[in-house]
Amino acid sequence: MLKKYPTVRYVLQRAIWYFLTFLVALSLNFFLPRLGSDPVDIMMAQSSFSSPEIRKQTEENLRKDFGLIVVDKQGNIQRDEKGNAIKASKISQLVNYIGQVFKGDLGTSFKNQKKVSEIIVQALPWTLALQLPTILFGWIFGNGLGALAAYRRGVFDKVIFPLALLMSSIPFFVFGMVLVYFFGIVWEIFPAVGAYSLELTPGFSLDFIISVAYHYILPFFSIFLILAGGQAIGMRSMGIYELGTDYIKYAKWLGLKESRVLVYLFRNAMLPQLTGLALSIGQMVGGALITEMIFSYPGLGMAMLTAIQTNDYPVIQGVTLLITTSVLLANFTVDILIALLDPRVKQSLSMDAK
Amino acid sequence: MSHILEVKDLTLHYLTRFGQKIHAVTDVSFTMKQGEILGIAGESGCGKSTLVNGLMGLFIPPLYPTSGDVLVNGESLMNRTPQDIRVNVLSQKVSMIPQGAFNALNPTRKIKDIAADVMAAHSENKSGNKNEIYERLRERFDLFGMETERILNAYPIQLTAGERQRSVIGISTLLNPKVVIADEPTSALDVTTQKVVIKMIFDLLEKNIFSTMIFITHELPLLRHVAHNIAIMYAGEFVEYGTAVQVVHDPRHPYTKALMGAMLSADANQKNKKPTTIEGAPPSLAKKIEGCRFAERCPSARPECRSKGQNLRMVGERLVRCDYAE
Amino acid sequence: MFKLLKNLIKEPMFVIGSVLFLTTIFAGLLGPFFYTAAPEGMSYETPSSQYWLGTDNLGQDYVALLLKGLQNSLYVGFMAGIIATTVGTLIGLFGGFKGGIVDDILNMFTNLFIVIPSFVVLVLVSASWPEGRSLTLIAVLIGLTTWPWTARSVRAQAASLRGRDHISLARINGATNLEIIFKHILPYLASYVFMVFIMQVASGILSESAISMIGLGPIGEGSTSLGVILNTAKNNSAITYGYWWGIFPAAIVITVIVFALYLLNNSMEGVFNPRLRK
Repeated sequence: MLKKYPTVRYVLQRAIWYFLTFLVALSLNFFLPRLGSDPVDIMMAQSSFSSPEIRKQTEENLRKDFGLIVVDKQGNIQRDEKGNAIKASKISQLVNYIGQVFKGDLGTSFKNQKKVSEIIVQALPWTLALQLPTILFGWIFGNGLGALAAYRRGVFDKVIFPLALLMSSIPFFVFGMVLVYFFGIVWEIFPAVGAYSLELTPGFSLDFIISVAYHYILPFFSIFLILAGGQAIGMRSMGIYELGTDYIKYAKWLGLKESRVLVYLFRNAMLPQLTGLALSIGQMVGGALITEMIFSYPGLGMAMLTAIQTNDYPVIQGVTLLITTSVLLANFTVDILIALLDPRVKQSLSMDAK
Repeated sequence: MSHILEVKDLTLHYLTRFGQKIHAVTDVSFTMKQGEILGIAGESGCGKSTLVNGLMGLFIPPLYPTSGDVLVNGESLMNRTPQDIRVNVLSQKVSMIPQGAFNALNPTRKIKDIAADVMAAHSENKSGNKNEIYERLRERFDLFGMETERILNAYPIQLTAGERQRSVIGISTLLNPKVVIADEPTSALDVTTQKVVIKMIFDLLEKNIFSTMIFITHELPLLRHVAHNIAIMYAGEFVEYGTAVQVVHDPRHPYTKALMGAMLSADANQKNKKPTTIEGAPPSLAKKIEGCRFAERCPSARPECRSKGQNLRMVGERLVRCDYAE
Repeated sequence: MFKLLKNLIKEPMFVIGSVLFLTTIFAGLLGPFFYTAAPEGMSYETPSSQYWLGTDNLGQDYVALLLKGLQNSLYVGFMAGIIATTVGTLIGLFGGFKGGIVDDILNMFTNLFIVIPSFVVLVLVSASWPEGRSLTLIAVLIGLTTWPWTARSVRAQAASLRGRDHISLARINGATNLEIIFKHILPYLASYVFMVFIMQVASGILSESAISMIGLGPIGEGSTSLGVILNTAKNNSAITYGYWWGIFPAAIVITVIVFALYLLNNSMEGVFNPRLRK
C-alpha cells in the first residue's frame, strides 16, 4: 500500500517496532521490581502502625494500588470467605498495569500521597532543561573537535586525543563532585547545590532567571565536557577512517577547498556517530541523572534518588518508565534522522519497497 | 616550449613512522607534447600511484619529493605551498581520473554539487551564483550524451557503475586541464561499460576538452590501442619507454617481455601460446638496491646483474634499462 | 601474534595503559594483605602521617578502605566483563554466523536490550533487592544488562567473516557449525573479542560506581566498593564540609582504572587496524 512512499513506510515500521519495544519495557518495568522481595513487604517493614487494623488497611490499600489484588469495577476489594483479599494473577496484574499506564495513571507516592504523575511533571522540565542542551551541544562540540583532530593530526591531535580519552574515562558524577568542590566550596564562584536560589519564588522574574542560569553552569559543564570527550574519541576514529576513503582522496586531487573537504569528512563521519548517539543515549541519560543528585538539582534524578532512599516504589517505577520512554523516543528520532540524511539508507529503503 | 609536461629525474619517498625512507619512485624522466597520450603500465605496487601524486605536485605526508622536477607548461610544481598547488594546479593544469568511481564520489552529495564544489574551489568569484554554476554544468554534461538532468540530480548510489565513471570523468575534466591522468579508469568495469568509458574519453579528446593524457593501466593490449607512447614501470623505475607499437609488439626489456607473456591474449594467432608467470615478487624499496631491481626474477639474469645497477639506454630506438637487452 | 606484541610495545599509549592498569591490579589484589589499617580514629580526620588519606565518617583508615574498594570494584568489573563478553560473543557469533531467521530473532532481542536503558534495569532490580545485595549479584546484574553491545559488534564481525572463502571451504569439507564457529571464526575474532572485553570491564566498573552512587550498590560486611566510598562521602556531605580526601582519592582511582583500560583498547585498535595510525 505504501510502496510508493518508502520513507513513510520506514517511519511506520520503526514506529511499530518502538511501540513493541515499549510494551516489553513496560512489562520489565512491571516484573523487575517483583524479582526480589515484594515491594509492599519492603515498604511495610519500614513503617510502624498504631494498630493491626490500620496496618492491615494500609497494606491492602498498597496492594490495591499496585494492582496486586482483585478489585471490582467500583474499586472495591474482592475478598474470599475468610475476608482476605483475593490475590490477582501475574498476568492480570500486568494487563491492569499497562491499562493504567495508558490512562496516564502511574500510581500514588507511598510517602507523601502525591500522584506520581504530578511529581514527574514537576521534575521533568528541570531534567529536560539540563539534559537536552548538554547532550546536543556536547555532541556537536565533541564531534567538531574529533573531526579536527582526525584532519589535522600532528600536535593538535596529540593534545586533544589523550585529553578527550581522559575526560571520557571520568564518570559524570565524579567530575560533578570535583567541580562542586572547587568552584562551589573552595573558591565559591558558583552555587554548589540546587537549580535556583531558594530565597526566590519560581516565576518569570529577571532575578529568578539569572539565578537559574547561575546555578546551571556547574551541572552543565560537568556533563558537557565528559560527553564531548567521549564523542570526540568516536569522531576522531571515524574521521580517520573516512580520511582514508577514496572520495576524500578524490576531493583532494580535485583541489577542493580545505573547508569543503572538512565538510565532506564531518558530514559522512557524523552519520555513524549519530547512530552511536542513538545507541548510547540511554547510558548518557542514566549518568546525567546521577549528576542531578550531586547538585541536588530538582529533576527526575533527584526525584528518583529520594524515592530510592525511602523505598517509594511507585515513584521509582514511574521515573524509570519515563526514562525508558524518552530514550525510546530519542532513538526513534535519530533513526528517522539518519534515514533522511543518508542517501544510501534512503536508496536501500526504496530498494526494499520494490 | 614545445613540451607541455617535463619530468626530470623525479625521485619520491615515503617516510615511515620510524623515520625510514622508502623510495617509491626513482629517477623517472619523460616529456610529453601537446596532444600526446602516454601509457604507463606495471604491476600493482610498482609506484604508479605515487608517481601520479608527484605529477600533480601533491605531497601529502608521508609522501615527500626527494629530488628532480616536474614542469607543466614550463612551470615547476616543486617547492610550492599546498595552497598554491591546490588553487593553481589541481583540476586546471593537471587533473586526475581515479579508478573505482563508486568510492571516489562522496556518497552523500549529488553529482551536481560535487561538480559545483570543483568550480567554486577554483574560481576567484566567491559569490558564484549557484544557478549559473548549474547552468554551466548542464552545458558541459550535455556533451557527454547522458541524461544530464537525471545524472546531475542523482546521488552516486542512484547511478550505474558506468554512469558513475563517466560522471567522474566529467568532473575531472570540468576545467579543461592541460594534462589528464587516468589511473586505471576502466579496471573495475565490465567489458561493455569499459568500451563506453573509453569512447567517452576519446570524445572529450576530439572535442578538445583536453588533449594530453597519461593513461595508467595494467592492461597492455588496451594501451596498444589508446596510447602513442608506453612506459613500463618496475619497482619505482621506468624499465622501458618507447612507442606503443615498439613496446607491445617488440618488447626488449626482460620484464616487459615477461609482462607480455603473462598477458592472456585474445589474439587468434596467439591462441596456442601459454601465458607464462613471473616468479617471485618485486624487491623491498626500504633498502638500497645495489644491482638491477629485476635481477631476482629475471629469466636471463647474469651474476653481475645483482651487483651492477642498470641505466636506461637506447636499444632499437627506444629506452631500455638493461645492459644486455638487444 | 609475537609481532603484534612487538608493535604494541612500541605504542606509548599501550605502555602507559599497561603500567597504570597493572599497578591498580597489584594494588587491588595484594594491597589489602600488605597494608595494615591504622586503628579507628575520629570521624573525618585530616590526612596525617598516621592516616595518609585521613579517615571516613566512622573513623576508618581511608587507605585501607580504598584498597579494599579497589579490589571489590575490580572484581565486579571483571566478573561483569566476563559475563557480558561471554553472553554477547555467543549470541553475536551464533546470529552472525547462522544468518536468516535465527539471526533476525537474536538481533531483534539484542536491539531491544540496547534501546531499553540498562541503567533502568539495574535500578529496578537492585531496588527490589534490599537484602543480600552482594558484589556478585551486582556484577551478574551488570553483566546481564550490558551484553547487547558485545553481541552487536561481534555479530557484525562474524557476519562479515561468514562469506569468506575459508569458511565456505570448511563447510564443503563437512565441518559442523560448531566446528566452524570455534575453529574458523572465533580465532579471527580473538583480538576483537579481547578488545570488547576490555571495554566491558571498564563499563562494568563505571556501572558499579553509578549504581552504588545512588545507594543501590553492594551492601554487607567487606563489600565496600569505590562507588560505595563515594556514596558514603556524598551522604555525609563530605564535599560541603571540604573533606576532599573522602572524594578525590576514590574518584581518581576510578578514573585511572577506566583511563588505563581505554588506553589499552585504543592502542590495540591502532595496531589491529593500521589505518588509524599515521
